[in-house]
Amino acid sequence: MIRVVHYINQFFAGIGGEDKADAPFEVREGAVGPGRALDMAFDGEAEIVRTLVCGDNEFHADPEGNLEAILAAIAETAPDLVLAGPAFNAGRYGLACAAVCAAVSEDLGIPAVTGVFPEAPAVDMYRTRIVMVETGNSAAGMKAAVERLAAVGLELAGGEGLKPAAEDGRIPMGYRANSVIETPVATRALDMLMAKLNGEEFVSEVELPEQAEPVPPAPAITDLSTAKVALITEGGLVPEGNPDRIESSSATRWARYPITMLAKNDDPAFKSVHAGYDSRWVNEDPNRLVPLDAALALEEEGVIGSLHEYFYVTTGNGTTVTHAERMGTEIAKQLIADGVQAAILTST
Amino acid sequence: MKQPFQLDVHTIEIDDVRLGESTGVSDGNLTVSVDEVSKIVLEDHRIAAVDVEIVRPGESARIVHCLDAAEPRAKIGEGSVFPGFLADMETVGTGETVRLAGVSVLTSSRYPQPFSGLLQAREAVVDMSGPTAAYSPFSRIQNVVLAMTPNPDIENEDYDDAVRRATLKVAEFIGNRGAGAGYDSTDRFDFSESNPELPNVAYFYQLQGQGNMADTYLYGRVIHNLVPTLIHPGEVMDGAIVSGVYVYSCYKNPTYLHQNNPIIWELQARHGRDLNFVGVIINRGHNYTQEDKERSSHWAAKLAGMLEADGVVLTAEGGGNSAIDMMLACQYMEQAGIKTTVISSEAAGADGYDFPLFYTVPEADAIVSIGSEDEIVAMPEVERVVGDEHLLDGETPAKGPFDLKMYFQYCGTNQLGGNVLTGKVF
Repeated sequence: MIRVVHYINQFFAGIGGEDKADAPFEVREGAVGPGRALDMAFDGEAEIVRTLVCGDNEFHADPEGNLEAILAAIAETAPDLVLAGPAFNAGRYGLACAAVCAAVSEDLGIPAVTGVFPEAPAVDMYRTRIVMVETGNSAAGMKAAVERLAAVGLELAGGEGLKPAAEDGRIPMGYRANSVIETPVATRALDMLMAKLNGEEFVSEVELPEQAEPVPPAPAITDLSTAKVALITEGGLVPEGNPDRIESSSATRWARYPITMLAKNDDPAFKSVHAGYDSRWVNEDPNRLVPLDAALALEEEGVIGSLHEYFYVTTGNGTTVTHAERMGTEIAKQLIADGVQAAILTST
Repeated sequence: MKQPFQLDVHTIEIDDVRLGESTGVSDGNLTVSVDEVSKIVLEDHRIAAVDVEIVRPGESARIVHCLDAAEPRAKIGEGSVFPGFLADMETVGTGETVRLAGVSVLTSSRYPQPFSGLLQAREAVVDMSGPTAAYSPFSRIQNVVLAMTPNPDIENEDYDDAVRRATLKVAEFIGNRGAGAGYDSTDRFDFSESNPELPNVAYFYQLQGQGNMADTYLYGRVIHNLVPTLIHPGEVMDGAIVSGVYVYSCYKNPTYLHQNNPIIWELQARHGRDLNFVGVIINRGHNYTQEDKERSSHWAAKLAGMLEADGVVLTAEGGGNSAIDMMLACQYMEQAGIKTTVISSEAAGADGYDFPLFYTVPEADAIVSIGSEDEIVAMPEVERVVGDEHLLDGETPAKGPFDLKMYFQYCGTNQLGGNVLTGKVF
């Protein structure tokens, strides 16, 4: 039998409405209020062993103190699952339920679920951190909300893991993951195409993003003969042994190495760790990726003022946008700090 | 499309595969002779040794180092399968072809020399049971695994050719031995009649052509300088397209899935019912420059127009580079008034929070997801391993348990629609 602790507010505990919102935290054994409906929905698979009650104003007057007491009351019960609410569209109650679920799952490692209306304030604040089922905006939707809360709770406590948000009736947490689907790819693709051809509605399985804003180029260099120029590549060129452990794909790291070291290219020699292009020619002659020979000649001729003493490198191969943006920002900051005015980026 | 092509594909369903004295099919059971198959494989001196093993769905088993797979096929009467490899340069796709369904000839091997850079055969794993079986379509069929050992003195490119020829020869041999058994069904590939009431649908079929270890063969030749061209679905059924792509196995299109291209099967089934199947455009993916990508994709869109297609389904093979070729083709088709559906894998990072596509065009408003290639899968311990005791790193016991990136799940996110995964919002 899965053992469940349930968190509710003063209203659903039958203490009273807004005038009792400062009701202090208390512990009751067994199921209370909506907990009885949850017990029914568990259909013998789980049971609420303890109910925690706290007034809405009281919780937010001292969230840290109340959470500490709540976590202690949960920890001593050692349940398999914690459920909170459902809180529907209630602001303070929803936030309290979400805060309890976040603390329980993150600090105690016990699965926790609450239920809220998609436009409730708790959604924006907690959607990526906790599991929330979608409910109607008032207690009129109690029956459906309780059934979802129980079903998703049992899924988590049973170790099955979550189903896709739409199948669970959950509020999406913002990530995508693999799921097994019965209808074959070819059938889905042609059904979608036929709907499109017939002017019927269809739903793309991946939604397109807002088109990215074009990045405005920096103002042109007025006098290249006094500019300090840096060389940058995403071609994965690193000293043998890859001391900074730049990944061969899906990179999260970048590094910079002295151009004097690259010019020597011996002990250690430079090699590409990039796993997305045929790097044989780069390994034979790194100048074909990082044009150091040509850049030094331009410096010698006075076409460019000077060459920056480091070249910068990462691997551009399946790199996520989040890491690409972060690494780009970090490299740009370093270049500015080093007084670089221009950069030549070579891609693969 | 009016043309001389008419192909009847006869299907013999194979219920079980066992090892025995003589290769043949009886009552839906395929018997494979280790001696007969080994002799065929070892007549090529580039292969030093071979183990022939049967690996079945539901077994607590794992196949590692998977290379190509092919379905046993044979011709009745005139014609041949795998033209350019096992037969002369003659046009295939007509007459009668027999397929042994539910069974693959699957090769597994290390390569003789160390690799570097992109173009290498990376790990490729099939789990035959439990939740991880969902990560490969080969978990759902019987596999005649040829676990081979290379002659240590030869170059990788040379060995690669040997592996491919061995796969095809054994598939043809088993096909020929089974072809006399009774057919369970017959499907006709003839698209010469069309119904003017129905929309015309074409298939944009992008093949990977990037260099040895990442090449697809068309009538036995690489496709590096291919401009988009037309191929009849019957030619594809007869093995005109053969895979030599091993770089990232989750989005590899093996020969087995070219021979059984799920998009072509679906279009064949729906021809005359709710659409007219008007043609297949093959395109080389991984064009090196933007100009080459533009040239190819404009050309493909033009061919779709010449086929009078109202709609096109697009598939690709490989990662970001190839996605650009396909998305541009989608864009130019849509701009020409041809509706499209794009089949794509996702790359939203291991935690799934990033945007899942490498490259998009605003016209790609109908996308079918075949799942994320970034997920990391916990592979359990299994009782039996086939192919090797260790993964390609030489350290990780193949028995497990270990964590494995989707990249190394054999056909986990197969872009022809061979597997059962899709990406969903969680």
